[in-house]
Amino acid sequence: MNKRIAPYYWMTVPAVVLFFVFMTLPALQGIYYSFTNYNGFGKEYDFVGFKNYFNLFQDDNVGNAYWFTFKFAIVVTILTNILSLLIALGLNAKIKFRNFFRGIYFLPNILSVLIVGYIFNYLFSNVFPIWGQNLGINALSTNILGSESLAWIGIVIVAVWQSVALNTILYLAGLQTIPITLYEASNLDGAGKWREFWSITFPLIAPFFTINMVLAMKNSLMVFDQIVALTNGGPGRATQSISHLIYTGGFEGGEYAYQSANSVIYFIVIAVISILQIRFLQRREMDL
Amino acid sequence: MRTTLTKALGTMLLCGMMAVLLSSCTSGDSANGKVQIEFFQNKPEAKTTFDELIKTFNAEHDDIQVTQVNPPDAETVLKTRVVKNDIPDIMAMGATDTYSILAQSDIFTDLTDSSLLQTIDPNYIQMLNDLTGMDEVTGIPYATNANGIMYNKTLFKEMGLDVPKTWDELIATAQKIKDAGEIPFYFTYKDDWQTSLPFNALASNLVGIDFYQERRDNKVTFKEKYREVAEKQLELMKYGHGDNFGKAYSDGNRAFANGEAFMYIQGTWAISEIRKANPNVDIGFFPFPTGNDANEIKLVNGIDSLFTIAADTPNREQAETFIAFLLEPENIGRYIDEQTLFSAVEDVKQDDPAVQELMPYIEQGKVIDFPDHYIPAAVQLNSIVQSFLQNQNIDNYLDTLDKEWDKVANRR
Repeated sequence: MNKRIAPYYWMTVPAVVLFFVFMTLPALQGIYYSFTNYNGFGKEYDFVGFKNYFNLFQDDNVGNAYWFTFKFAIVVTILTNILSLLIALGLNAKIKFRNFFRGIYFLPNILSVLIVGYIFNYLFSNVFPIWGQNLGINALSTNILGSESLAWIGIVIVAVWQSVALNTILYLAGLQTIPITLYEASNLDGAGKWREFWSITFPLIAPFFTINMVLAMKNSLMVFDQIVALTNGGPGRATQSISHLIYTGGFEGGEYAYQSANSVIYFIVIAVISILQIRFLQRREMDL
Repeated sequence: MRTTLTKALGTMLLCGMMAVLLSSCTSGDSANGKVQIEFFQNKPEAKTTFDELIKTFNAEHDDIQVTQVNPPDAETVLKTRVVKNDIPDIMAMGATDTYSILAQSDIFTDLTDSSLLQTIDPNYIQMLNDLTGMDEVTGIPYATNANGIMYNKTLFKEMGLDVPKTWDELIATAQKIKDAGEIPFYFTYKDDWQTSLPFNALASNLVGIDFYQERRDNKVTFKEKYREVAEKQLELMKYGHGDNFGKAYSDGNRAFANGEAFMYIQGTWAISEIRKANPNVDIGFFPFPTGNDANEIKLVNGIDSLFTIAADTPNREQAETFIAFLLEPENIGRYIDEQTLFSAVEDVKQDDPAVQELMPYIEQGKVIDFPDHYIPAAVQLNSIVQSFLQNQNIDNYLDTLDKEWDKVANRR
């Protein structure tokens, strides 16, 4: 008996140790430093209690970053899920070159976010404006990443472009779980394509919808790479996400402890949102 | 310059491992009986030049062996090594906020009475004292850079323009170029740090560096002193191209090299980049004419590289021998030639034709430091200035500067 159980311990224990050393320990350290005035290096620091937390709520840069991040995350989550569901439905149909298209749509997910970001950055500043000028459209003839009011749209475009790939794959997996007999039956009953979608397809992939919504929301709340590659938080602080603020303020600005406090709060916020989302969407799954 | 979180985490991990590895082989006497000196520096551009200089030095000295360490993201690596108490024997870096913070943590040797400072221009030593707010000198200024206005000599000649000496002449020149349907300035304000270049030139000349000491003591505000700086920076915006916030530093270097614009508000560090894009471009450089008295204008000229020695190194003497070697006119001359910088050692001249108009200012000591070295990094000056240039609201801008400064001061 013991001999059969042993391999499972060989798999779990190292994982637990690694997880503890590289995830839990740094997180605990971060919480510890959030009560100090540590600047990230050096040996001297004092305990300041809740001062960092108190200051956070008075810092409008933090508020601004939260506003941008939530606006961004909601738009990206909705767009990503609509587009990837549509693409998945298309890729699940009996079309020619189906596997080829599936490969193409998955490509963006393999590419590094940073490289994609830099490529799009080049397109936004040097290629799209030229198209805009040639077409005579004023709004498109300058780099939208350079505008305080439009830059976030550029980031949304890149983020959606890239995250659609993974969500499409998850939806495809979901679509394959639906038994073909259901469609045959509905066909006999004379149901149209729309009716089929709302009454069979969508309810049956509900668990996949839940996980896609949660994943997309969580990923876009933690948006970082795209911002570094596209705008670096600018112009001004117009596209500064919370994780970007934590990074720049903490490491470049030498306010390690202050931004640790910010990340502790942010961790709680993301955890609460994810839990609420799962609860709400799972209850909805039951209702269907 | 920027890294991603993943990259940063990677470097941190790597640093951790490096530190563990290095701690087992820290400097000191090695097997071949030579004293090992670790020379840590932060400029990737300067790696080859230093390699050559070190080769010469090691060949001349039987008892000392210098090794160069130049990791990517060097300032972060250095900070991590300071935490690990694994400080390199000699460290070279710019006179920035990082230097100031490290100097105040007492990790550098006090060099106030060192003979190494004898040949250094006293202006630069004063600059370091102003920066750290300390009486001791812990860094030896080596090379300096300058910030001003670059211009395309060929285009200026074709249109028969003179180099502007005052603010009014600058605006008149720009207007003339604009009227001819050409681009006076090539702004690259998609990169926020580019917006701080005119800020530095205007602020240093119109307000001065003493302002920051007074600001720290809460005797003065940006709102009282910085209106003219803001107005002039805003006025320049009328003479850009169509997409001032859409182009980045690298776009600008390419465009300027290809003669798309007449002037380019930039630092001397861009010269080599521009020549890479077009080796034949005829570059000139003049100090930023911030006011209307040409005699009062100073060149913004900051320390690009300085040397420090670790406070607890057992090899101080050997480290000083190496620094003395680098400071020899022949060696520093070679360094500034290859890097298009200026020498902090007196009587060593930079003879690159592109920067000849700046030389009189440096020789006569009509120079002033970069004001943004005195603003804590957490204030994030660059993004504040970039935002201001976009929404053009001066009152709001000055309020933000004061508010952010106070906020950061309160958190310390």
